[in-house]
Amino acid sequence: MKKYRSFFLDPLWKDNQILVAILGICSALAVTINVQVALTMALAVSFVTAFSSFFVSLIRKITPDNVRMIAQLAIISLFVIIVDQFLKAFFYEMSKVLSVFVGLIITNCLVMGRAESMAKNVSPIPAFLDGLSAGLGYGYVIIAVGAIREVFGFGSFFGFQIIPLGWYATAENPGGYVNFGLMPLAPAAFFILGGFIWIANIINEKRL
Amino acid sequence: MSFNENEKVTEFHPPKNYKTLFFVIILCSFCALILAVLSSSLNKKQEEAKKVDRSKQLLIASRILSYQNYFLIKENDEYKSAFFDQSKDILVESNEIRKATQKEILYVYEKRVKPQLIDLQGNLIDFSKAGINYQKYLEDNQRLGYANLQYKLIYLIYPNTASSQITDSTEPIGYVIPVNGMGLWDAIYGYLAIESNGDTVIGTTWYEQAETAGLGANISLPAWQEQFHNKVIFQKSPDGTTNFQRAQIGITVVKGKVSEAYGNLPKSESAVDGITGATLTGMGVTDAYRDVLKQYRPFLEKIAEVK
Repeated sequence: MKKYRSFFLDPLWKDNQILVAILGICSALAVTINVQVALTMALAVSFVTAFSSFFVSLIRKITPDNVRMIAQLAIISLFVIIVDQFLKAFFYEMSKVLSVFVGLIITNCLVMGRAESMAKNVSPIPAFLDGLSAGLGYGYVIIAVGAIREVFGFGSFFGFQIIPLGWYATAENPGGYVNFGLMPLAPAAFFILGGFIWIANIINEKRL
Repeated sequence: MSFNENEKVTEFHPPKNYKTLFFVIILCSFCALILAVLSSSLNKKQEEAKKVDRSKQLLIASRILSYQNYFLIKENDEYKSAFFDQSKDILVESNEIRKATQKEILYVYEKRVKPQLIDLQGNLIDFSKAGINYQKYLEDNQRLGYANLQYKLIYLIYPNTASSQITDSTEPIGYVIPVNGMGLWDAIYGYLAIESNGDTVIGTTWYEQAETAGLGANISLPAWQEQFHNKVIFQKSPDGTTNFQRAQIGITVVKGKVSEAYGNLPKSESAVDGITGATLTGMGVTDAYRDVLKQYRPFLEKIAEVK
């Protein structure tokens, strides 16, 4: 019998949803343009995976097998809409920044992946812990990608300019610093994510 | 009934299908119930948040409120931080920055912003004279915008005086025009504040958009919007003068930097830097300003000529 602790710790590194299971890549490309967006997305996804896993597990014994995916989807969308409505009411500015991406959590395969591979087989509390840490494991990866993209693509971190504006190239000083133009575009996230997965593979292989 | 047919019935397991159907109906109604309760309980709060945000964005566009949520007053062409003095009923300059409360913002909005209508000839008309209810007018037209209506919406900005001194004949210090258009993904809505000369831009804001987060969505960021200050909406001719009857109207969002696209040409005064990776949103914004301002042109020409 797995311990509660390992339910929480495994998805953070050993079974990391992005780095090891390669799930949730599409949203990782879209919302890693800067740290603030990535952080909000990470929190929203953690909330949704944690609670949807909990409820999927709660009704696992009465769910007919042939409609289990529809049931999971209904529960996941319920929590996504809760997050969306909540943001609109209390964090209006943030909801404006995230716009459509909150709604798109529904299509994040890692949420459904956890419901399908874990939550429907274990009791509610471990399912909750597993979902929460799967979300957090996804979260720290997209925040790291977001940090790299924001620093090199915009010269800022969390919205604050960290590369001095005086360093930038101007008409008088064409030899100055220029933001890395690839970083704000989606392919940059592919390369960074690929690099992360590579590093994670090296570390994991060594441990074996 | 033969024995064989009976066997078939048990193979189909009809009770199980009913169970599945029953389960799905219960689950869906349960989810729907939760969402209905949530939506009706948060609806008021959301509408309020939206309304406060819109008022705030209008005040920010007209530089009465800063992006950091404190009041501003203009002195000798410079904007200084200020706070709301309740006893004097005006904004007073202060060296330390004091954030404005939501109540103060709404009060100053009510006091200094007055919605009015413009008819097809470019004359200002009161809502009451035109026989239009303001709230209903807003609700009916906020989705498609006001620029193509017979009576177009405009906001007058009154100077920083006590509310008792503001009358219908008070000369406004600026006008705010609601702008709307199509971005890359969805409709975009914003405000453009113009000085009383009908030409110089005080500021602009985009308060509702669904552009790509981090790229097109940056049109709602202060750093981008601040470049609009002191631009002109009537494009200057190459010799640096403005012909209000002939000049092109609007503000162009260029691809890349204005200094690279237009150099120091007079038309660079009607252009702003684009956002890297958001060229299509920039084109949508350019179109929005041009299409909306075109409809307000009779009015803008009129006040520009008086000055």
